[in-house]
Amino acid sequence: MLPSSYYVFLSAFVFSVGLYGVLTRTNAVVILMCVELMLNAGNLNLIAFATHHGGVAGIAGQTFTLFVLAVAAAEVAVGLGIFILVYRRYGTVDVRKPRLMRW
Amino acid sequence: MAEQALATAALLIPVVPFVAFAVILLGGLLPKERGFGGATSTVLSTASAGVSFALSVYVLLRVQATDASFVAVRTAWVEATGAPDLHFGVLVDPLSALMAVIVSLVAFLVHVFSKYYMNDEGENGLPRYYGAMALFTGSMLAFVFSSNLLMSFIFFELVGLCSYLLIGFWYETPSAASAAKKAFLVTRFGDYFFLVGVAGVFAAFGTFAYHGDGSLFDTAASAIEGNVSVLGVGAEMAVTALALLVLGGVIGKSAQFPLHTWLPDAMEGPTPVSALIHAATMVAAGVYLVARLFEFYALSPTALLVVAYVGGFTALFAATMALVMDDIKQVLAYSTISQYGYMMLALGAGGYTAAVFHLTNHAFFKALLFLGAGSVIIATHHKQDMWELGGLRRRMPVTYWTFLAGALALAGIAPFSGFWSKDEALLAVLRNAVNEPLLWVPFGLGLVAVVVTGFYTFRMVALTFHGEPRSEEAREAEEGGFAVYTPLVALGALAVFAGFINAVPLGIHALKTFLGGETFAEYAAETVGYVGEFEPSTALSVTALALAVAGSVAAFRLYAGADEPLRHRDGATARVLEKKYYVDAFQVWLAEDVTYGLSKRLSLFDIDILDGVVNGTSRVSLGSGEAVRRIQTGVVSHYAAVIALGVVGLVALVGLVGGWF
Repeated sequence: MLPSSYYVFLSAFVFSVGLYGVLTRTNAVVILMCVELMLNAGNLNLIAFATHHGGVAGIAGQTFTLFVLAVAAAEVAVGLGIFILVYRRYGTVDVRKPRLMRW
Repeated sequence: MAEQALATAALLIPVVPFVAFAVILLGGLLPKERGFGGATSTVLSTASAGVSFALSVYVLLRVQATDASFVAVRTAWVEATGAPDLHFGVLVDPLSALMAVIVSLVAFLVHVFSKYYMNDEGENGLPRYYGAMALFTGSMLAFVFSSNLLMSFIFFELVGLCSYLLIGFWYETPSAASAAKKAFLVTRFGDYFFLVGVAGVFAAFGTFAYHGDGSLFDTAASAIEGNVSVLGVGAEMAVTALALLVLGGVIGKSAQFPLHTWLPDAMEGPTPVSALIHAATMVAAGVYLVARLFEFYALSPTALLVVAYVGGFTALFAATMALVMDDIKQVLAYSTISQYGYMMLALGAGGYTAAVFHLTNHAFFKALLFLGAGSVIIATHHKQDMWELGGLRRRMPVTYWTFLAGALALAGIAPFSGFWSKDEALLAVLRNAVNEPLLWVPFGLGLVAVVVTGFYTFRMVALTFHGEPRSEEAREAEEGGFAVYTPLVALGALAVFAGFINAVPLGIHALKTFLGGETFAEYAAETVGYVGEFEPSTALSVTALALAVAGSVAAFRLYAGADEPLRHRDGATARVLEKKYYVDAFQVWLAEDVTYGLSKRLSLFDIDILDGVVNGTSRVSLGSGEAVRRIQTGVVSHYAAVIALGVVGLVALVGLVGGWF
């Protein structure tokens, strides 16, 4: 069995990739995909430590992961809905275009 | 149950006019066609004054018969725990009984005269006029019967309010509106001091009561006797200070120098109102208050001297201004100020009886003179300038003869009423000046004022009634009817005979006995060492009479055949007199230039510093908000970047604190 640190490093790597994508990309769908990466990096951490500790803590970690998956699914549904509206309004899903919510 | 009847009557005297006022006031709420017209309010108000007069006479007779002096009704108004209660009470004693008769009689006659002066002239706003008159009468009567200082103060203020309403009756005229305001503000200036005095009295002695055990006077007297420290100073000093503060209100109301300026302006009101204000209500309230508080003032020689000086100075000061006035009502206004000066002078010299006596006589002859002047004014269609009158004695005999009686009383010519009381006032000063040399000065002023009084009075009589008519209106003057004759004749008779109630040189002391003047004189003798009992002085009576006659005859000879040329005066003295010694100008300067200028300067503190702080705060918030809101770009990526940076920052912070590095 691999040591837990491997999983943590992998998780950190995936999280960073996701964060980089969120900050640099302009296409809203890609940003949403990157957010998924960040969420799953978190899930990876949870699963890794659940396995590492085992027992009650392990079950709690797995339950958390399931919750996060459910929330992520909901978030995607809402996010895509918003994007469709944005697309109808602006003809693009470039996040720099909708700039109504500003000073 | 005689006392019960007396108490009820005394209570009803002020209540009846108040009820009349309330009914007239509520009548105004009715729809116009069913509301009260002038006629109903005239009847209501006049009847209320008449009823009060009848009750007052009853009270006076009962008080004289039983020598009563008690608080008839006493209800707690504010009940306090740990502090004395505040009461409303009706104080029945010789002074209030006498004053109630004067007030209600003059008020009643003025009401009767008003029918001629106001109703028959077709004035508008009669319900307003009679409502205010009823309130005026009621307030003054309530003031007269007040059983404590606080209650006096309340009704004192109400009287001031009513005079404001009535002086400004013709409020469409700018001068009347401004005169009303002036009367209100000037008297209110004095009342500030009065109010402080009232509060001070309560703080010092814990009571307002005029009568009974533990009254204000007893408490103050025993405080002085026991040499107790009151309000942080010696008791005598506290009494002096409080007496002088209360005197501020008196000076304002009784139009004494330097707060006399409102009274001549108050001539803008209808003439019957002037008669009421001058003779019985507003102006009389001040002197009545000093008489009521005489036992308090008599505890402090300083306060008494101040009263005497204010009175003596005002007596001469106002009389000189009356010399040059052209308006008949203005002459009377200044004579009022001067005559109240005599009363103050008498009170200051311990002449309690003399002051009340002069107050009584003055009420009658001054009301008479004002109503006479009112009769002239209506007959000549509102001609008030004496240089446009003249020769009226043939056209208006009743007015002339009654006016002449009033003038002789005012000038102080025997045997008319004014002579006796003025003589007694001067006598009190003369006898006490022996012990208190400082009284010689006001005595001299008062004596000189006698000749001046004679002069201006007969200048007025000569110009108005003698010589040839100097205008069309004066040539065709028509005397009014019954409503004019009744008050004039009634008051004329009083001006002739009222003096005999206390003709000291003839050995008549009826008023003194009635008022208990003896007690007051002894009281003053005990506290400040005034001469309690004094002999009449024939020399003084003869001198005063000679001076009055000299002044009167000189004026009469000078003006009875006077023509236009005499009118033009351009001497320096005349100018100063016509400018009223520049007191008015000085007060305007004080208000407009000094006070307003200073206030404007002071307001800079408010504008620059206080507002500056407030405005500065808002400017900082606005400015920083303007700067900070730029981070709201509306671009999602920017927000995400800020959040990410924030997380990095937090992690770095936790790392630093946690010692990871």
